[in-house]
Amino acid sequence: MRDLIIIGSGPAGLTAAITAAEHGLDVLVLDEYHKPGGRLLGQLYEEPGGTWWNGIEESRKLAERAGVLGLDIRLGKSVHNIEQVNSSWLVHADCETFEAKSLLLATGAAEAPVAIPGWTLPGVMSVGAAQVMTNVHRVKPGKRGVIIGVNVLSSAIAMELKIADIEVAAIALPKTNQVNGSASNPTEVMNALLHVSHMAPSLFVKMGSKLMKNDFMKKMGITFYPKNGVRMWDIPVMLRKAVIRIEGTDQVEGVTLATVTADGKVIPGTEEVIGCDFVCIAGGLYPLAELAALTGCPFYHINELGGFVPLHSQDMRTPLDGLYVAGNITGIEGAKVAMSQGKTAALSIAKDLGQDIADTSLSEAVRQISSTRTDAHIQFHPEVDAGRRKLQEYWDLHDAEKRKVMV
Amino acid sequence: MTDRDMIVCRCEEVTYGELTDTAEKFGCTSRELKLRTRAGMGYCGGRTCRSLVDAIALAATERDVTQITLKYQPPVRPVHFGDLGVITND
Repeated sequence: MRDLIIIGSGPAGLTAAITAAEHGLDVLVLDEYHKPGGRLLGQLYEEPGGTWWNGIEESRKLAERAGVLGLDIRLGKSVHNIEQVNSSWLVHADCETFEAKSLLLATGAAEAPVAIPGWTLPGVMSVGAAQVMTNVHRVKPGKRGVIIGVNVLSSAIAMELKIADIEVAAIALPKTNQVNGSASNPTEVMNALLHVSHMAPSLFVKMGSKLMKNDFMKKMGITFYPKNGVRMWDIPVMLRKAVIRIEGTDQVEGVTLATVTADGKVIPGTEEVIGCDFVCIAGGLYPLAELAALTGCPFYHINELGGFVPLHSQDMRTPLDGLYVAGNITGIEGAKVAMSQGKTAALSIAKDLGQDIADTSLSEAVRQISSTRTDAHIQFHPEVDAGRRKLQEYWDLHDAEKRKVMV
Repeated sequence: MTDRDMIVCRCEEVTYGELTDTAEKFGCTSRELKLRTRAGMGYCGGRTCRSLVDAIALAATERDVTQITLKYQPPVRPVHFGDLGVITND
């Protein structure tokens, strides 16, 4: 029987696979996509200091290292069920079943939609889909697009579309309704953006992001935010206009924008139509935890981590024997954090399988996760640290209960 | 087109109006809202509309942070009936 099956060949899964193989474990990696790399494949952005993070290059490096180690990576395999039987894990993928002593779930994140009348028209896609088309398949999603939803992910992808010479006519808010929530509230969106102001200096220079720490100034900032938006990489970012409808008969032909109040209410008579041939909807990311949910692993909803996350410790163990997690399934963060989590998970697994792993190298790996988090260029949630602390409290509570039962 | 006519669950063609009316009338949890309207019960297993159905239910009910809303059940990906019965250990 194999030592370890890893589901997901993104930054977390591949780093874990490499680390585990380096420690002599027999590893199988499964991924439903036809290329290794996961969400890394779409990433392309400039880091502070002017170097570029090229996700395709990073995936290539990981896959190359995996190749040298002779790792068994099977692509195009969708896992539809997992179960623990007699202290081993069964993984059901298409028509095959694999078995291992331990299982690492590194399934990443999924995109949440925003819903706008017309969002079922052909030509509407998630912003991540536009990223994959552009950066992975090198196919333009259209000639001129509108992005609905202003957040870290959509801003980063807007810039990538721009680099690929695809016109982005606007990034605007979704209209307010019961499903779009805070993504449609100009004040809340601006507050969230202030935490990433270093990514888009031009957007905040005018408003003076230091001044904006004060609530009164924030209110003034959004009240006087230019109606036609502030340009970021020459793309108008509109915090006071919302898309109220996506227009088109058989496919996307444009969107109707309207000016909104500071809390997102449409001001009647301000509607205008702008033309475009594709629309990206961007409701943010949430941990893709469906497989973990099948195991009976406890879950907690933690806003700062992006939604429901499986209970786990800092060294990436879950309460279930032989089940581990790493990457965005544990909370929405960048690829570098995912890699350090993958490494930590692999060390924990090797240790639990009886390999000689020094406590110091495991604690160093855990420390590496937090320092990577602190240095991260992109923070998906400004309070991610608070989210991690909440989860740790749940883990401690769970651990204490378990000890009580054992005594 | 208004919000009311907007399709939220594409697989089962459930509209926003149908969901908000049902949530309001019965004070539904996500699960009850799903069972009453079939939103999230189609071919994709709710992978597109799950967060939207959840958001509509949360307007009337409190979130239980310890219970994953809209339970996941195997198979979590579409799979052929024939393949489900096959066991091939490698």
